[in-house]
Amino acid sequence: MGAVDIEITRLALYYSLLIIPLGAMLWLGVPMVRKTLLSVARMTLQLAFVGLYLQVVFELDRPWINTLWLLVMVAVADLSVIRGVKLRLNRFALPLFCALVMGTALPLLFFVGPLLNRPTLLEAQYVIPIGGMILGNCLRADIIGIRNFYESLRKGEKAYLLALAQGARIREAVLPYLRDACEAALMPTVATMATIGLVSLPGMMTGVILGGTSPSAAIKYQIGIMIAIFTGTAITVLLAIALTIRTAFTPYGVLDLDSFRK
Amino acid sequence: MEAKAVSQEEDHTGSPAIEIKDLTLAFEGRVLIEGFSLLVSSGERVVLKGPSGAGKTSLLRSILGFTVPAKGYIAVRGQQIRPETIWDLRTQIGYVPQEPEPGNGTVEEWLERPFTYKANRSLRSNLERIPELFRHFLLPMELLEKEVQVLSGGEKQRMAIVSAILLNRPIMLLDEPTSALDDLSKRRLIEFLASQEDLTALVVSHDPDLRALAHRVVTLN
Repeated sequence: MGAVDIEITRLALYYSLLIIPLGAMLWLGVPMVRKTLLSVARMTLQLAFVGLYLQVVFELDRPWINTLWLLVMVAVADLSVIRGVKLRLNRFALPLFCALVMGTALPLLFFVGPLLNRPTLLEAQYVIPIGGMILGNCLRADIIGIRNFYESLRKGEKAYLLALAQGARIREAVLPYLRDACEAALMPTVATMATIGLVSLPGMMTGVILGGTSPSAAIKYQIGIMIAIFTGTAITVLLAIALTIRTAFTPYGVLDLDSFRK
Repeated sequence: MEAKAVSQEEDHTGSPAIEIKDLTLAFEGRVLIEGFSLLVSSGERVVLKGPSGAGKTSLLRSILGFTVPAKGYIAVRGQQIRPETIWDLRTQIGYVPQEPEPGNGTVEEWLERPFTYKANRSLRSNLERIPELFRHFLLPMELLEKEVQVLSGGEKQRMAIVSAILLNRPIMLLDEPTSALDDLSKRRLIEFLASQEDLTALVVSHDPDLRALAHRVVTLN
């Protein structure tokens, strides 16, 4: 038993529900109506495109196409981090790409392989949705972690330089900032794990239940995906910082402000 | 910009601790120092003075490798400052910034932190000098438990001085080290510097008492 397909006319009618928040915005003068309409339009177009594309990817189910799809998603995530944290593309694109690939690939392959025990690791039905979930969380954590790391380094430059003057190497001097960045990046996932199931039903579990799987089986997927997300975000943030340190500092250990866009 | 030695009260002919030749420093397109040369001998105490914006702090920063000269040569104990030498050279220098920014944690953690760095691990026993230095700089031992963020400006400055002394470097760079100190604390610092005959000190200061302690005063115009 799979989830019931939604007729296109019914979906179109469902958009009318948006009248409530949009009406409230207009009534209260919240200046977000245009932005909301634009976002809804973008969501519709993007998902329609992805739905069509994924349909083809799922039907073909070729490992190289699935891998390519994941890499495209990682590249888009990579650009989002660079744009979100105002970093220089030429300096940060490659290290952040590598961090996102590692953070996504490792927990994903462990999920599909040892956990689900699938005969092939790159099956579209599993790697694309699960990879997408892990990557989405890695992206969010990466933006928080990298932004926190470099912003606190810039704000606390005097303390950082004092550490260098006291004989610290870069990796020793950045340790307090690295700790803070990791805490900020991982805290949302830790908080989610602590309250999951109590205040909300997580998306993965809901999707698996809608797909016809029993709730007792669905929770196993959810536990697996939470471990994958937490591991993936930790790997991504730590690697992203470790790999970008090579390009973000001058040979004298000073933060190179040319690494950031004005 | 031109720098000149204003007074030479004592002859110091030891080996050069800091050697600066024909230095030009620029910041955001503005030339701060041009063609500046200075030789500080081992064991010499030199006070640098000059109007604000003359580049005194930038000069200290350039000796630490934080500001890269547009032109010229800086050497510490005979070794030119370069990316491959700066890491070892910093372990020869104690630095007291004008407004020390201690980060987070307690005073005790602040003082211990430099000894967690690989370069200073062998010096860890120097921490035993904390009670003696606290007494000298009129700091109560209870301060060790205090969060660094709640310290007053004067306490921060004295802690930064204690921290630099604990590292026991042969060269000290002090940037306005008395700017937040009361008279008594200032006297204690002067007494300490005067008692360290082997210590090379390059001090940025407008304080006449510190200038009196110097072997030489150099003015950055």
